[in-house]
Parts: sequence; C-alpha cells; structure tokens
Amino acid sequence: MRVGVTQVGTTTAAEPPVLERLRRDLEGVLEPDAVITERTRRRTYECDGLTGHRVIPGLVVLPRTTEQVAAVVRACAQHQVPFVARGSGTGLSGGALPHADGVLIVLSRMRSILDIDVPNQRITVEPGVTNAEVSKAVAAHGLYYAPDPSSQIVCSIGGNVAENSGGAHCLKYGFTTNHVLALQVVLPDGSVVEVGGPTAETPGYDLRGVLIGSEGTLGVVTRATLRLLRRPEAVHTLVADYPSPAAAGDAVSAIVAAGIVPAAVEMMDNLAIHACEADAAAGFTLEAGAALIVELDGPAAECDAAFAEVQRLCREAGAERIRIADDPAERARVWSGRKAAFAAMGRLAPDYFVQDGVIPRTRLGECLAEIARLSQEAGLRVANVFHAGDGNLHPLVLYDGSKEGEAERAEALSTRIAELCVEMGGSLSGEHGIGTDKACSMPKMFTDDDLAVMARVRRAFDPDDICNPGKVLPTPRLCGERPGPYRPHPLEAAGVIARL
Amino acid sequence: MSSVVGDRPPLPVAVTDTVAPTDVDGIREAFARARDRDLAVLVHGAGTKLAWGAAPSPEREWLAIDTRGMDRIIHHEAGDMTAIVEAGVPLARLQATLAEAGQQWAVDPPRVDAGATVGGVFAANDAGPRRHRYGGVRDLVIGIAAVLPDGTVARSGGTVIKNVAGYDLAKLHCGALGTLGVVARLALRLHPLPEASRTVRADADAAAATATVLDLLAAPLDLAAVEWSSAGGGVLQVRVEGRSEAVDAAAREVAAVVRRHAGGVAVLPPDEEEARWASLREAHVGGEGATVARGASRPGDLATVAAALAEAAADAGVDATLCSAAGIGLHDAILRGGDAAAHARVVARWRAALTALGGSVVLRERIAGVDEHVDVWLDPTAPPSTLPLMRAVKQALDPEGRCAPGRYLGGI
Repeated sequence: MRVGVTQVGTTTAAEPPVLERLRRDLEGVLEPDAVITERTRRRTYECDGLTGHRVIPGLVVLPRTTEQVAAVVRACAQHQVPFVARGSGTGLSGGALPHADGVLIVLSRMRSILDIDVPNQRITVEPGVTNAEVSKAVAAHGLYYAPDPSSQIVCSIGGNVAENSGGAHCLKYGFTTNHVLALQVVLPDGSVVEVGGPTAETPGYDLRGVLIGSEGTLGVVTRATLRLLRRPEAVHTLVADYPSPAAAGDAVSAIVAAGIVPAAVEMMDNLAIHACEADAAAGFTLEAGAALIVELDGPAAECDAAFAEVQRLCREAGAERIRIADDPAERARVWSGRKAAFAAMGRLAPDYFVQDGVIPRTRLGECLAEIARLSQEAGLRVANVFHAGDGNLHPLVLYDGSKEGEAERAEALSTRIAELCVEMGGSLSGEHGIGTDKACSMPKMFTDDDLAVMARVRRAFDPDDICNPGKVLPTPRLCGERPGPYRPHPLEAAGVIARL
Repeated sequence: MSSVVGDRPPLPVAVTDTVAPTDVDGIREAFARARDRDLAVLVHGAGTKLAWGAAPSPEREWLAIDTRGMDRIIHHEAGDMTAIVEAGVPLARLQATLAEAGQQWAVDPPRVDAGATVGGVFAANDAGPRRHRYGGVRDLVIGIAAVLPDGTVARSGGTVIKNVAGYDLAKLHCGALGTLGVVARLALRLHPLPEASRTVRADADAAAATATVLDLLAAPLDLAAVEWSSAGGGVLQVRVEGRSEAVDAAAREVAAVVRRHAGGVAVLPPDEEEARWASLREAHVGGEGATVARGASRPGDLATVAAALAEAAADAGVDATLCSAAGIGLHDAILRGGDAAAHARVVARWRAALTALGGSVVLRERIAGVDEHVDVWLDPTAPPSTLPLMRAVKQALDPEGRCAPGRYLGGI
C-alpha cells in the first residue's frame, strides 16, 4: 500500500466566492491570460519538487510586473486570502505547495535581466530569471553567479532567495545570502519595499538577511540585485576511490587540516556509485566503497600547488585509485555522474525518500555507522550521496511502495535519519528547506521559545498570517497529517534537473 | 551574578546599575531587574563602539549589562571549522586560541588591542580590511542565542556551516547595536590561517585608485584586502594571501595591474606588512577630537565619493581623510578641526552626494554637538521604505522599548 497523497482543504471545481470577488477586483490589473481559473489548468501547479504533497490552488495568477504582484497581494490582504509565491517549482520541501482556498502567484513571467553592472560586478534581475541565465548573461565578461544548486538550469532566482540555495560549490563560496545585495519585496500588506542596496552596507536592520531563506513566508521578491564573481583562473578536479566512506572521510579531514578549502568535496557510497554508473556511465569504479570528488579553483599558482598537495593527501589516506578530471569534458562527465545520483536511484528501487540533514563533518564516520545500523534494523537499503566538505548528507532510503507497509517504514527511517543529524549537533536541512516537509520536525532542532520568537518575527512581516501560511514553523493542523512518498519531479524524470 | 570585569568603559549615559552576568541566566536576571524598575538597558563589552548610534535618551534611567563576564570559548572543532563562544570573549584571545590550530575567525576590525569582544564586533557589524575576501561579520556567524528583554532565550541558525532550518535571526542582531536583545552566544564560521601573505602598495590619487580597483576586480586574482587612504596624496594597499610558494607570483600579478594607473609601486618587505596594515586598520578610528562617518557606495564610485568629501570639507574648513575598503566600497571619513556645526555640514553634504549614487552615510564617533545639526543615521526627510518594517521587528522583539531606546535608526 502506498501512503496517500496529502490533499489539504477543498478542491472542488466551484470557485469559492471570496476568490471570485478577489478575481473581479483584479480585472483590469492583470491581463486576461494571466489569471487561471479552470481546475485542470490550476492542477498543473498542484505541487513543487516535493511531489508527495499536492494541493490544487484556488486561483493562479501570472503577473508580469511588481505593480501587478503588489495589486494581487493587496487584494489578498483585503479579502484575507492566503497566497503562495512560486518560481519554477523545483523546491524539494513543499515550500511552494499551494493553498486550496488561496492564490498562487507564479513569477515565471517576470524574467527580465534589468541591469548588468560589469565594473562593479552586480546584476539586477526579476525573480523568474533562472540561476543559470544569470551566469550565462555575464559569461562574456568573465563573471558568474556563485550559488549553483543542481536544478540551476530551471530554478529561479526568486526561488533561490526564498530557499537560501547553495550548491556543490557553497563550501568555498557560500550561499545565496552571501551573494544578494538588494531585494525589492512586496510585503504581505501589498506595500513595496527595497531591502539592502547596491552597496555592501545599508543603514538599519539587515532585513534582507531574514528574508533570504524565509521560504516565501515573509513577502514576495520581485527584483534582486546579485553580486557576481570573477571566473577563477584555474580549476582542478579529481575522483579518489576508497574502500569505505569512513576512509574517504579521513582524506577530507586531512585536506581540511592542511588548511585547504576546496571549491567542492562530494562523496558517494558504493550503492550510489552503482546507481550513477548504470545511469550516466561517468567512469566511477564499481568496486570502490566510496568515491570522493575534490575540486579546487583559484589563481593558477595557488591552485596548482594546492592540487598537488590534495593528491598527496588523498594517496596517504589510502586512495585505491585517483582519477584526474582536468579537461572540461572529463570534469563535466564527473559532475554529470554525481548529479545523476538521485535520478539514478530508480535503477535500484521503485521508490525512495531523500533527506537533507547536516552533521558536523567530523562526526561523519559515526553518523554513517548509525545510518547503516538503522538501515539494517529497518530492512531497507540506504544509499548515501553527500557534500562531504560541509557534512550535508543526502541519504536515500530505497523502498518498494507496492509492498505492504514498506513506505511507512521507509518514511519513518528517513525521518529518523534527519533527526539523528540534529542529535549529532547538526541541522534538519542544509539546502532543501523546511517547507511543508520538515515543519513537524522543527521542534527536534529548536525549542518552543526559539520557534515562538521566529513566529514573532514572522508576524512583524505578516500580521494576518496570509503569506505562505503553514510552512516552516510547525502547526497542529499540518503536523497532524502524514506526507506521501517521494516521487520524481516531472523535470527530474525527464533528466532536465537533478537534485544534489 | 555581578562581578567587576576590567575597567568600566565610559558610557554615553548615566547608569543607575551595572550587571556583569556570567551566563544566560544572569542576562535574564538583569532584564528582570530592568523590568522591575523600568530601566532601559545598554549592553556593552569593552565599550569600544559605545559612541556609535544616536545618543541614548538621558530622560530614561539606565541599567548597563557588561558582557565581559561571559568570556568562555565553549567549543572549537578545528575539523568542522566552527567555534562556539560567549559574547564577551575578547577577539584577541579568540584569535590566539584559534591560531594554535592554524585557524582564524576572519574578522579583523580595529580596536582589538583595546579589548573589542566578539559580541561587540557582531552587534556593531564592524569588520576590517579582510572583509574583502571573507565577507562581513554577518557572513561569518552561523548561529546565535539571544536573550530578549522579556527573558526569552531564542536560538537561531545552528552550529554547522550549512543550515537553512528556520529564520536566520542572527542577521537581524548583527549591526543592531543591542536594540533587539542581548546576544549571549555565537557560533562562528572559521577559516584556515593563510600560510603567507604579500602586500603591494602604491601612490594613487582617488582617480588612479578607482581605475586600479576596477582592474583588480576584473582580474582572476584572489585578493584578501584592498584599502585606499587619501592621506598624503593617496596610498593604495593590496594584500594577497595563500600558500608560500604562490604568494610571490600573486603579488607580481597585482603589481602589474596596479602599475597601469599608479606610481611608486612596491611589494612591502614581509616584516613591515603587519605594521602597515595595523596602521591602515586603526586609521578608520578617528580618536580624540575626530568625527567619523561611514559611507557606502559601489566600488567604482570611489573617486566621486572622495571628491564629494574633499569639496564639502574644504567649504566647511574641516580636515578630512578618507579611509576606504576600496574593493567593496565602504569608506570612513575622518573629520578633524572645525566645530560641531562644520562637521555636521560635511556629513550632510557627503550624505547627499552618496545617497544620489545609491549609497548611504552613517555617523559613528563624533565630537560633542554634531547630533544637534545632523541625524546620525539618515536624512530624516527621506526615510527608507523599510522603516515601518524595522519598527515592526523592534516591536516584535522588544515591545517595551527597553533595549537601547533611541539609539537606532528612525528613533528605534
């Protein structure tokens, strides 16, 4: 038996009267084709990348301008109707899960690049511009945008801001919050404010820092000014094979102890290697207990010397084989193999749950041993793919949903692993967000007081609780329900995006 | 609960009581005392930045919380490149401890020798030249525990570098000058200490410095710090850090770029480097008889920023020196000579010029009387669109207005 898909609220074909009134208010504000009322078309937006949770939004709007977003939000405030902002819908925690009686504000039509300031290395974009488009727009100038979530071809800057997205290279370069200078935001009362500025500092509280990563619960971002970086002169990549993840972890410890901060450090265990090879044939060694990918970048002299040392440290830590992937094609092959890991799990099992917990990196061996024990106890296989440099784990709990009770056991194991991360001094989520998915686990990481203070700040932004309500912070209503199993996002199934 | 820790710094307001808590409960008790007697609360560490912000209201009665009794380095895990410390830990001691493991908290503000604490640096958002490479204080704090004036202890963030669970409330407290509560503990993101560094210096006026900075930013160099001072006709200093076998090559590349626009280019002898950087870093502090204003602009506007300051200062008969973190566009104007009204005129004009460029000017230390002529934070006729939201945040965390009332922007 499969765990049923969550359906929240009413999803009847009839439009609730309040939404009908709201829609009339917006006539003349939005173009006719920017308002979607038919149920079948609304259904297109029923989930984000967390496909086990589905709710058909009451109304869908596709504004083209900040003024239109503000008008929609004002109307929502006036009618006390909840609204949810959505970018490309690639989020993995249900942050953009719609409300059945609310408005879904889809920002995918706001995709203009408004300004590129090459000398000062800044770009100003609308929220629907994709992450990859930003780097593409400035590539000719030798610049790029550092955060690189693996859905970057599709995911939007607005969504990145909401989720504080990272990516494989955030170990060295940081997260979205370290790269956003200014935001234009429509607040939940419909007013438009500018937070931050084109400069490194602006007077007053750092509201930008709170908005980034607030998962769309404090306002709707309608414009973002981002910091760009100069492309590094040199990039070096290697894949080292180890008999076990613990041995590979020793190599990471040695690299850190040597004072080297790689651009990225990724690890896959044997099960994950098998899945990746079957899917992408990226040249990983099937017999290896763990594959460690290390990438360095920077000025050539610095980077070359550090790379030589990393190779030595990897050998000393017992690498069975080191493959240098230094030309761009070979490097792309390694990364495509790594990024195929999630999609490739379909070759190992019909279904899986993925977690996103973070542990202090030094407790990796201990944590993996405990995951192995829990896995054995539950009689379910767990494949491990993770950002080994920063301790962000992505354990994939494999199961077969057609087998009685297996989905429930898999879900319980998956949740147990996330909470294990918290017990080890880590976090519930390194990059996927809390959203709908993990809101009920928040009390494992934060006290009631911690959460109450977060709720106080939330009410300062959204006193009426209409801005993406029910996300991030636990609510009795939400936490009484059970989520469904993981299913691949349609774009993921099509191989357009991957999750890291 | 109270103990005397070091000398009490000169406070900007008369206090009826001082408490030096040694733990979180001590801060909660201090707030309880303040609530009982309806005292406003001024939190401080070594007191090196107590002059920042608007003057505390003399109409209120005040209680001071001295954080220096909370000076434990609770945890340092070198392998995780994180540390958890209490707010009152002196930065100098923290860095010495971390250095034993070859690490650092990559924040290098001035006044470390005067005892500046981690909490104070955080509350004031005061970073130094190496912010160019490592980001500001906000980027290097990954979690906090704060005590709110109602006694609630609220944590946010965590102790791992990568973490998106919950709201990042540390960002609100960073630079809030203690107006939202007392930060008791901080989790810090650490970096390895570089093996070696080199510094290229050059004579460069504002125009040459601007052109150089933009060329440096466009080059594939990994710069640690880029500072420009208007003193003596203009001096540019650029620092690179890294492996000992690579820093000479990096310095040569920097020098080649600098030579395009500036003269007197030289790589400093390594034994002179530290002293030269210390002197540049401390120059951002005005000292006795000086007024300091912090300006922000795009890096490419440096020449305009410098010219606007020079012009306003000349007209007001004030001596002005500009100390800029030129690569990131943060500038401290040091004003000396002339009276308070003259200093205020310079600040107001400089503020108007930077605001027109999309930037800002905030007063830091100033001579007595400047506040009577110019607002510390902004031009009151053009408040930011976010001011109502900032008030709402203050109201949410400190509804009774107990934490440093009046010190912050817009009277918050």
